[in-house]
Amino acid sequence: MKISSARYLVGQGMKSIWRNRMMSFASFCIILVSLLMVGVSVLATINLNRIIEGIEDQSEAAVIIKDGITQEQQDQLRSQIEQIPNIAEVRFYSKDEAWEKMKSDMKEEQQDLFRYSEDENPLPDTFRVTVKDIGQMADTALVIGSLENVDTVKSPTEFANQLVSIKNIIMIIMTAVIAALIVVCLIIISNTTRASVFSRRKEINIMKYVGANNTFIRIPFFIEGMVVGVLAAGAALLLTKFAYESVYGIFENDMSLWSILGVDNLYPFNDMLVKVTVAYLMAGAVIGALGTSISAGKHLKV
Amino acid sequence: MVEFKDVSVTYSSGVDALNKINLKINDGDFAFVVGSSGAGKSTLIKLILKEINATSGTVMVNGFNLSKLRRGKIPALRRTIGVVFQDFRLIPTMTVYENVAFVLRVIDAPSKYIRSRVPYVISLVGLQDKAKAYPTELSGGEQQRVALARALVNDPKLIIADEPTGNIDPTLSYEIVDLLRSINECGTTVLMVTHEHDLVRYFGGRIININHGSIAFDEVIGGSAENEN
Repeated sequence: MKISSARYLVGQGMKSIWRNRMMSFASFCIILVSLLMVGVSVLATINLNRIIEGIEDQSEAAVIIKDGITQEQQDQLRSQIEQIPNIAEVRFYSKDEAWEKMKSDMKEEQQDLFRYSEDENPLPDTFRVTVKDIGQMADTALVIGSLENVDTVKSPTEFANQLVSIKNIIMIIMTAVIAALIVVCLIIISNTTRASVFSRRKEINIMKYVGANNTFIRIPFFIEGMVVGVLAAGAALLLTKFAYESVYGIFENDMSLWSILGVDNLYPFNDMLVKVTVAYLMAGAVIGALGTSISAGKHLKV
Repeated sequence: MVEFKDVSVTYSSGVDALNKINLKINDGDFAFVVGSSGAGKSTLIKLILKEINATSGTVMVNGFNLSKLRRGKIPALRRTIGVVFQDFRLIPTMTVYENVAFVLRVIDAPSKYIRSRVPYVISLVGLQDKAKAYPTELSGGEQQRVALARALVNDPKLIIADEPTGNIDPTLSYEIVDLLRSINECGTTVLMVTHEHDLVRYFGGRIININHGSIAFDEVIGGSAENEN
């Protein structure tokens, strides 16, 4: 194909956006709304997931070490725990630290009731252990409990299990919602582009009679759909950024309240800007271009 | 050249549109195809353009054997044929110039050739002053002349005119046929479908009469126009 022909076809595609501006606008709106619905759902899911992971990271098991073991035995226990596959992090939490923490949590007058000397500290030394997969917390706790020099293991097993099932339910629901949204959007988009192409079926018919091949007929539709899709993606990006940052701002202003829920873990929009931009532009261009050229193809059989 | 050998067409509805037709139109011929509605004239045209396939028999058009022609090669066939329709079928969103130039763009002609060829063909049909007008701004006769220019611009071997005078003023019909005759004189084969017997009687020439899917009459008759001269 000659460059002049390519330029002509691209020009035709751009012109037909304006010539069929009502239909172009309809496609634009449909793609915009579709991208927004899917995009917002995906962003919500990502953040919800991160909040739950934040809570997970905070939930740790306490391994209470037998009293009076040597430093060597303690180090050995530590390396034994670290070798368990599901272990993410092991942190030594001495009885002195625990005592200081407990004291600072108490009011002045209560502190007076607990006047132990340093030697009389009744609290045990512990390892604070976080796990990779919180769903297997109970099993991991059993393994640690069976090790030598371990007194008891206190793990938030029930909480861990609930967290896992909440996470699973959210993932299933969100995946279903996103999948349903994608299907609905594709149906609506294909119907809109079909209407847009149908209004020009005579034009396509004439092109066939004068010996235009399918590629020649499709390219302007392809370009037209792609440009409309990219424009819709740009608009969707701006709207998403605005909405996301508004919500993010609300959480940020009242951090102390939300941090309990781990909401300080929300992703700032700019961290995801590149990914969101690429996803929107690709999706917009592909949906627009494929939608119109597939619909055009249905009228190609003269 | 168009050649039909024992061609039959039966539509899926069971209607026999053509029945064992044998027909040969040589290069440079001018032929009228006449017959009442439903006789099979449109089926004949559709066969030549490979809109439909023959149920049996072979159709040869400009060196293409249509029963063996693959789908992807149909554009190549159609580029050797210029078609004029009763309802003009111009693209309403394009100007006269663009409508005619479109055919050349389809075949990937150089822009320089397009720029010289299109105005020439538009002037052949006498519309040089209307090149920038849109089809809706033209009369029926003018629109049909644009369609004729579009059929001509690619210098096809064969022009098929399917009731080209059906939607225009009777006095202008003669102009259109005159144009087709002068195109024919330059060597292009012309096949004109019509049911206006006055026109056929006036111009004369080869008349192919189709009746109930068969050729009832295929002869050359003298027209009254020649007698007048």
